[in-house]
Amino acid sequence: MRKMLAAVLSRVVSAAARKPARPVPAASCTYCSDATFEIPKCDLYRLEEGPPGSAALARQDGLRYYRAMLAVRRLELKADQLYKQKLIRGFCHLCDGQEACCVGLEAAIAPSDHVITSYRAHGVGYTRGLSARAILAELTGRRGGCAKGKGGSMHLYARNFYGGNGIVGAQGPLGDCVHMCGME
Amino acid sequence: MAAVSGLVRRPLRQVSGLLKRRFHRTAPAALQVTVRDAINQGMDEELERDEKVFLLGEEVAQYDGAYKVSRGLWKKYGDKRIIDTPISEMGFAGIAVGAAMAGLRPICEFMTFNFSMQAIDQVINSAAKTYYMSGGLQPVPIVFRGPNGASAGVAAQHSQCFAAWYGHCPGLKVVSPWSSEDAKGLIKSAIRDNNPVVVLENELMYGVPFEFPAEAQSKDFLIPIGKAKIERQGTHITVVSHSRPVGHCIEAATVLSKEGIECEVINMRTIRPMDIETIEASVMKTNHLITVEGGWPQFGVGAEICARIMEGPAFNFLDAPAVRVTGADVPMPYAKILEDNSVPQVKDIIFAIKKILNI
Repeated sequence: MRKMLAAVLSRVVSAAARKPARPVPAASCTYCSDATFEIPKCDLYRLEEGPPGSAALARQDGLRYYRAMLAVRRLELKADQLYKQKLIRGFCHLCDGQEACCVGLEAAIAPSDHVITSYRAHGVGYTRGLSARAILAELTGRRGGCAKGKGGSMHLYARNFYGGNGIVGAQGPLGDCVHMCGME
Repeated sequence: MAAVSGLVRRPLRQVSGLLKRRFHRTAPAALQVTVRDAINQGMDEELERDEKVFLLGEEVAQYDGAYKVSRGLWKKYGDKRIIDTPISEMGFAGIAVGAAMAGLRPICEFMTFNFSMQAIDQVINSAAKTYYMSGGLQPVPIVFRGPNGASAGVAAQHSQCFAAWYGHCPGLKVVSPWSSEDAKGLIKSAIRDNNPVVVLENELMYGVPFEFPAEAQSKDFLIPIGKAKIERQGTHITVVSHSRPVGHCIEAATVLSKEGIECEVINMRTIRPMDIETIEASVMKTNHLITVEGGWPQFGVGAEICARIMEGPAFNFLDAPAVRVTGADVPMPYAKILEDNSVPQVKDIIFAIKKILNI
């Protein structure tokens, strides 16, 4: 009797614990595989051709960008919370709401391209390859941060990412020259 | 009989006592004014006194000042006297110097002196050198003011002390107030001075209240530029400092006086022209010297004081080498533990004093 009960219970518990399998065979997929966006025509200045009139976004890419944007959003919301708890000191410039800027930028370039930005650097740092752990460790002044805790919010650096610049406008000439050197 | 006459006399005494009664008066509490309010008062009084004085800078008008130092001034004086500028220090510092050349008396606020590096060409080449270069023809009566030095957690690009940089240049006057009294007196003297004056305030001091003596409440209260103040008399060692570290020196002196060491604490008030006479007189009395500053050690304010003492008569009175207590020779780190150890603390001052006195 007890053995039967135990068996039934264990079956019920394991059934509840097991995630229901939902395989989606590609052939009979009811989702779109890509989406097309119309890009509004813009005036050109000293250019022969402008950007293309439409862009196609594949499903896989769309999911990838969405995942990245969501990660940046959660990173920024957590940074906001930590800042209010005074675990992050000094300045904390957030980009929750602007995730598409850094994710879209990264989507259009290669990891070997060079990027520089102003003080609103968390999202760009993430898309440039810094882990959320490295960013949050830097924001909270820990040795495991990307700048060993010595830089803080505005001074995140990564490979081919030249910061994080605290002085407004400083990134302009810096970025121009990084670009010019890269063109050689 | 005597008792009866006493009974008769007592009511009369009581009545006269009643007539003599006054309200119970306590001594008036000393007026406490924060450094921020003292600067605000000083600027308000000068704006009222002379219509050629005006204030320009980022967020000084409608936002009441990035650190609320110019609170209420835009409401009182309007757009023509309190001017919000775009984020271009080179641009608006140049505009301010031009205005000064044309005869106005601008107060140019930098949100912090770190940003003045963007405009340092205008401060040095256009403002500081002009009176000399023109052979005395073109004065530049301008005031550059703003917070200087380390704040809390703002990292390398926002924590530099510029006392040594500006103190290096002939043609500039550089002042560094500590208390509210200093702040008000020095800003008023700076505005009334016909030379370019750099006023190095301190963000962490803005909210600190100090006792405001009666003479400081007057509209003509001025502190002469080029005169230091002895904040605390002492006999064993001279401790010279400017801006926020003056408070740390006084704290160190209080701790050491319990051990029988009396420190003479000098608040420089002015970096350039330096009041070396006060420091020399003090060293000739105490025979020992340390300097304390928040800036970096190399080529700093402390280095200049030591050099001048060595060149002057006070050298013969020194019983030990003069020593500098300064900020650490690194760009300001962000992590709190590193930042706290990159600026002089009370324990560092006490350690240096004991080392010099061989205790």
